[in-house]
Amino acid sequence: MILTLVVITALGFDFTNGFHDTANAMATSIATGALRPKVAVLLSAVLNLIGAFLSIEVALTVTNAVVNIQNSDGAPRPELLADGGTALLVIVLTGVVGGILWNLLTWLLGLPSSSSHALFGGLIGATVAGLGWAGVNWTGDGSKLDGVLGKVVLPALMSPLIAGVVAAAGTWLIYRITVGVAARFTDNGFRWGQIGSASLVSLAHGTNDAQKTMGVITLALIAAGEWSDTEDIPLWVRVSCALAIALGTYLGGWRIIRTLGKGLVEIAPPQGFAAESAAATVILTSSHLGFALSTTQVATGSILGSGVGRPGATVRWAVAGRMVTAWLITLPAAGLTGALMWFGADLIGGVAGAAAVFVLMLAAAAVMYRLSRRSPVDHQNVNDEWQDAREPARAAG
Amino acid sequence: MGNLTLALDSAWKILLAGLLLGAGLPAVFAVGIRSMAYGAGGDAEAHATGTPGPRPHPAGRIGAYACFAVVLLAVALGITFVVATGFGKELSFEHIYPTLTGKD
Repeated sequence: MILTLVVITALGFDFTNGFHDTANAMATSIATGALRPKVAVLLSAVLNLIGAFLSIEVALTVTNAVVNIQNSDGAPRPELLADGGTALLVIVLTGVVGGILWNLLTWLLGLPSSSSHALFGGLIGATVAGLGWAGVNWTGDGSKLDGVLGKVVLPALMSPLIAGVVAAAGTWLIYRITVGVAARFTDNGFRWGQIGSASLVSLAHGTNDAQKTMGVITLALIAAGEWSDTEDIPLWVRVSCALAIALGTYLGGWRIIRTLGKGLVEIAPPQGFAAESAAATVILTSSHLGFALSTTQVATGSILGSGVGRPGATVRWAVAGRMVTAWLITLPAAGLTGALMWFGADLIGGVAGAAAVFVLMLAAAAVMYRLSRRSPVDHQNVNDEWQDAREPARAAG
Repeated sequence: MGNLTLALDSAWKILLAGLLLGAGLPAVFAVGIRSMAYGAGGDAEAHATGTPGPRPHPAGRIGAYACFAVVLLAVALGITFVVATGFGKELSFEHIYPTLTGKD
């Protein structure tokens, strides 16, 4: 019973992960008109789907980076299985719920926060609540980049900066090189470059992010005694995760696409091309070096950089500031939510507690969806002129 | 080594690779576009209004295609890299041209 809830919730998270991150790859292409909005999300969805299948490496140890609920081979800690796995399942369930709720809230606000941080944050919070502070892998053992510090905090600080510098350099070079070429001529050429580089980002996203959910679901299956192979992931898990992330991507997080594509910088095709190239390179190089980073933060850093690198471009630093704030509080906020959920589930206890958390999540999701309908953003108005109306109100308040 | 040293160690490598590939390849692409405009002549290049604009230069097109080929090749390598990593292989440049090897 709890296992079913965990699987559904994890797939739900995968789905939010998809629509939350469509913007990373496609915001710039949509903003510059290189691709029509619907075509862009379809392309990104297909590439995410392919990406999810491309990576056959087992991502079972995904939680090991931040919490100690698994052994190094991916099997759940035996002491957590004493009661038939319920303890571990509740931690995973409440952690993932924390991640989903934070993802939905930031989507409602149109803020591109990191889905990985939301997931890790939720898991950390639920683990602290369930097992105490020692249940969290804060710094690793120092032999490699590990723990909350090495896998989450440090990359989060460095990766947007790196991506920003690369994108700024690329943008500056492109504008220097194409001086004297008619704008209409360059824009056409760079739109093609943009589509190519954005596709790379989508593919890389599919290979990285769908893995996390696959790992979480398989961990739950092992805990419940439904699966025992730590070397492989059940086929149905792979297929359902790939479909969930692709569907989410296709739905498109239009609110976030709008913020990234129109809110930060007015993007011209050469800038979009430079931004996506920088993002693709930084993501691919980092995953090669085992530097775990957030696609979202890299994409945002790149777009900011493309604004800085183009002479005379305006960067809306107020919007950037709100984003950075969202990044900073993502981990603790999702953690707090995860912890509260765990205490709630623990108070009620057993299957009823898990079910209560699940129902609470559905209710909260419904409320946020209702709120989003008050100011809908979809493929038709995603590129409308950016209004700074909300900004002064915030500054004054 | 501590996490900070390790992170900085990775960070400068990523920055270097990023500048080389993430900014360098777009620059090559831009040279291609510029060369293409030089090849096309006329309205593709900025010129005083009312004048017919520079005449086309066939050499420009050849240069442009060379630049685009370099970029495409790099992108193909990038995709191979993603796919190969997913299947537990590594892209090796030991023999200068890229080959796929099993991960150690």
